[in-house]
Order: sequence, then C-alpha cells, then structure tokens
Amino acid sequence: MSDVDDLATSLMDDMDPRLLNLIQNRINSFIKWDLVRFFHDNPHTTDTADSIARYTGRDVRTVEPELIELAQDGLLHMEELSGMRVFTLATDPEIRQLIQSFIVACDDRQFRVKAIYHVIRNLR
Amino acid sequence: MSTPRVPTGIAGLDEMLHGGFLPRTANLIEGAPGTGKSTLGMQFIQHGITSCQEPGIILTFEEFPQQYYQDAANFGWDFHAHEDSKQLRVIMTSPEVTRADLQRINGRLESLVEQIGAKRILVDSLSHFERLSADPVELRRLTYEFINGLKRLGLTAVLTRENAALLGETPDVEEDLAFVVDSYVLLRYVEIQSAVHKALLVLKLRGSDHDKDIRQYAITAHGIEVRSRFEGTHGIMSGTPTMTHAEAFAAAFLNPGTKG
Repeated sequence: MSDVDDLATSLMDDMDPRLLNLIQNRINSFIKWDLVRFFHDNPHTTDTADSIARYTGRDVRTVEPELIELAQDGLLHMEELSGMRVFTLATDPEIRQLIQSFIVACDDRQFRVKAIYHVIRNLR
Repeated sequence: MSTPRVPTGIAGLDEMLHGGFLPRTANLIEGAPGTGKSTLGMQFIQHGITSCQEPGIILTFEEFPQQYYQDAANFGWDFHAHEDSKQLRVIMTSPEVTRADLQRINGRLESLVEQIGAKRILVDSLSHFERLSADPVELRRLTYEFINGLKRLGLTAVLTRENAALLGETPDVEEDLAFVVDSYVLLRYVEIQSAVHKALLVLKLRGSDHDKDIRQYAITAHGIEVRSRFEGTHGIMSGTPTMTHAEAFAAAFLNPGTKG
C-alpha cells in the first residue's frame, strides 16, 4: 500500500461514513461545496443557473453542470418552468438533515482539512 | 361599516392611511437608496406576524436572506424565530422565475402561501422587473399581471421601488407604475437649513381617503417612526424647500439667528 493510500485510509477512519460518502460521491468538487452551502444558507431560493451563478459570484458555464449533478444526486430539485431550468434545495427531510450535518461539521477545522483532501483526491 | 384595513404597525403612517392599507392590494413604496423602503416593508411583515396573526413572505430579487435576518435583528425583530415557527419565509429568486411560477396552477409561491397561511408579502424590489422588458407598455402589462397574481393568492403586498434621484423630482418613467398599484407612498430626502431630513407622502390610496400631509420620519432603533408634518416650509418634494412667507418674515425679523 502506498503512502497516499495510507493517508487516505487514516483520513477516512474517523469520519462519519455518511459524510464521507457525501463528499466522495456527491459534494465532490469545491463548486458543489459552495453551492450546497449557498442553498443551506438560503433554503427558499428558487432560481435559474444564471441567477445562482450571479449570487455565488461564479460563471454560469461552470455552475450549471454542477447544479445539474447535484440535482441528479438528489441534493437539489430541478424542474422546467416556462422553458427555464429552475433549481431549489431538495425538500426530503433526510437530505436536508445530511446537508445540515455536513455544514455543521465544516465548522471544525480538522473536518474541513479532511474534506478538502477527499475533494482534491476526487478531482485528480 | 368601516372598510377592513391591513395596518403597517407604523403609527404615523397608519394614521395617514386611515388605519392601514386595504386588504389584497398592491402598495408601492418608492424612494432613494437609504430612505428605508426595505425597513418599512420588513416592519409591515413583522407587525403582521406579531400583532395580527398574519404570516408573511419576503420575496427578494437582490439582497440575500441573511441580510434581512441581520437587518431585522438590528430592530429587535427575530426573523429566524418567525421562520422556525413557519410564520415567515424569505425567498430569494428572480422576476423571471416568479412570473413563470405565478402563471402555473399550484406553483411554488401559491403552495407556500397555503402552507404558512401567508397574508402579507414584501417584494423587494420591483425595480428588477425592468429587466424583463425594455418596452414600457409591455413592462406595465407584466407588472400588472404580477400584481394581480399576488392579489389572487389573497396577499396584501408592499412593493419597493428604487428612485435614483436623491433629492428633487421623480423621473417621468416611474409615474407609469402609479396607475397599476393601489397605493403609492413616496419617501424623500429633503434639505432644510443645510441638513438632510426624510419626508413621507401618501400620493394615492385607491378606494379610500388619506392624509395628504408631507410628514417627517426617522429610522429609529425600533423601525420607522412617522412624525409631524413639515411646518413653515413649502416645496418639500422638490428636495430643497423654501420657507413660507410667514416663516421667512419670522426668521428675518423676529428670530435673526435662523437662516432659510
């Protein structure tokens, strides 16, 4: 086993498996991380990718594919409205609780460092 | 029998409106930046929740919900608690999405109104509707349609609108909107004796009489307070009023220390 794999194993060991799964499979980029935080802070937002990109200070071309993936992964809800693709936070209480746990966990520096490691590893 | 009213909770303003806005109406609050349009709207929502058992919605096209929570807290209004008790929802969206949502049956806003039993809404601000169309006729139609959508949901609405003019007359383009709304409240900065004051005027209240005084108001630690009318000056809405003849005489001859 390589040193990198050793490190990864040790970083996974003491992480809540639900959150680890969330980071490895659903919030697996920094833009998604930002978007999830945005929807957590503004849970009644209903808007297009264009507006959400503006609210988060990013380019719509970067944001829209990430929003679509978050919707496909069940964290957001996506619907067509008069020809516009509109995104909202998923209403499922379990999903909301999971996102809440993730945001609360992010207050801890140790968790953030581990989460950043996993996101970077996913990006490679 | 007196007409039912929707009080704003702002004592002086309710007095000018003879009790408050009329139910299921659209009420425009127009003013320059910093005149307190959003504060007035938040106070209307706060009063509805705490004193009238009327839950409310804040529809924001510009500010982040966090900004409202923070601003409200500065006045001692706990919007987080209202959200937790399902009496308030702060929704961040865009005019395009809101318009499309209101056109469908059982849209998101309609469902929300039913869920929390909302009776009041603050739309902050209507100025963002201007990006929907460059054609003034089309824009008026869109705004009218939007306002009727809110009324259909049984809401009494406060709609804010920015006015770029810090002092002085309102540009012509904004007069068009006055025909569409049910009431029209103007907030203005006025300069009197080298100091900036704030003035409030109810220009229109469809279906009811109202006070035509131009009143002074202030944004205090508890929200907006509408005070007495301006005395001894005229031309208030020009932004740079002058003393009346009687006041000018008194200033010049009876009280030489006062300058006008």
